[in-house]
Amino acid sequence: MKANKKERFITVIDEHKKIIYKIVNSYCPNRADRKDLEQEIIIQLWKVFDSYNPDYKYSTWMYRIALNTAISFYRKEKKWYAKKDFFNEDSIFNLAEKDNDDDVTLDKNIRLLQNFIQNLNELDKALMLLYLDEKSYEEIAEILGITKTNVATKISRVKEKLKKEFQKI
Amino acid sequence: MEADELKEIMASYDAKLDSILSLNESSLKKMKLDNTRKQTRYIVILRSIEVVSFGILAIILGGYIVDNWSSTHLAISGIILHIFTLIALIGSIGQLVLLQQIDYAKPIVEIRKKIELVNSHSLLFLKLMLLSAPIWWAYPIVAFDGFFNIDLFTHMDPDFVLKYVIVNALLIFPLVWLLNKLTHKNIHVKWIRKTMGFLTGTKTKKALEFLNEIEEFAK
Repeated sequence: MKANKKERFITVIDEHKKIIYKIVNSYCPNRADRKDLEQEIIIQLWKVFDSYNPDYKYSTWMYRIALNTAISFYRKEKKWYAKKDFFNEDSIFNLAEKDNDDDVTLDKNIRLLQNFIQNLNELDKALMLLYLDEKSYEEIAEILGITKTNVATKISRVKEKLKKEFQKI
Repeated sequence: MEADELKEIMASYDAKLDSILSLNESSLKKMKLDNTRKQTRYIVILRSIEVVSFGILAIILGGYIVDNWSSTHLAISGIILHIFTLIALIGSIGQLVLLQQIDYAKPIVEIRKKIELVNSHSLLFLKLMLLSAPIWWAYPIVAFDGFFNIDLFTHMDPDFVLKYVIVNALLIFPLVWLLNKLTHKNIHVKWIRKTMGFLTGTKTKKALEFLNEIEEFAK
């Protein structure tokens, strides 16, 4: 039964791995913290896996838990370098190397995008991640716990900020 | 670059991740998922100790008031301490309730508020401490009587006591004003931020700053 649960859990994580990956990369600028946060998110998801409410989409559920965990993690004063077993731990995600010319341009743009998101505060970061991930205003409101109107206002403010930021480049 | 262009980059990034990102299943299977690090456990233990301590103190002070009911100054001093103990007890119970309500599957704003209210708990003690400044005499009176059976009040000059009570009563007004200022809503004011940081520490100050940020975000 427990093995079955773990299999189901792994399937869900596999289907939504991009959510975790993108959140981890947006909230953690350094590699060591990323591994730690990945694990923390997986553990939190496992803890509440049995109480998943099917009224919500898996992605909504996962976004809430992953973002809440990431914000808590980000706000902790972490000393990753004090972690002895850092180099022995495997990451939960593998990235295949697959570089061609298109990828080089894309990577440059992605880095730009990641830098922009990383410079936002914790809450705007969550908002922007959801917006760029093409979530509807309704779903963003549901995940963040604010009204749809508020989502629209916040997004337009961040967009303005974004415009100014990129004018500097 | 416009927001729509960023959306396009995100979509390309998504497509790229689809082809290069994979789950390290063996690593995930190896993880001790049940061996969870309960971050809140330590705080729950601390707050439970507070609840038990304040609960015991409230019972002892209740007994003290009953025993000294005929002696007005001792009864009043006991009642003052009892009220402060009850406020602290209610605050700690409230914290335990908040801790039980922290569920990461709930919306971000709701959960962050609860977490930061837990993190800024020491503000309650700061407020109680400040509020008890004008009636600090209640502490030594009850302590000396309770522990050493010495009634300090009978050794004091009545004229001095009267002046002292008046001066301390006047202190209540600026203190109430200060207490009203010391909230997360005023954390943007430099002197309040500095006072909070100095009196409650960086952790509480940061929690209050974030609490204010959350409320602004939810507006």
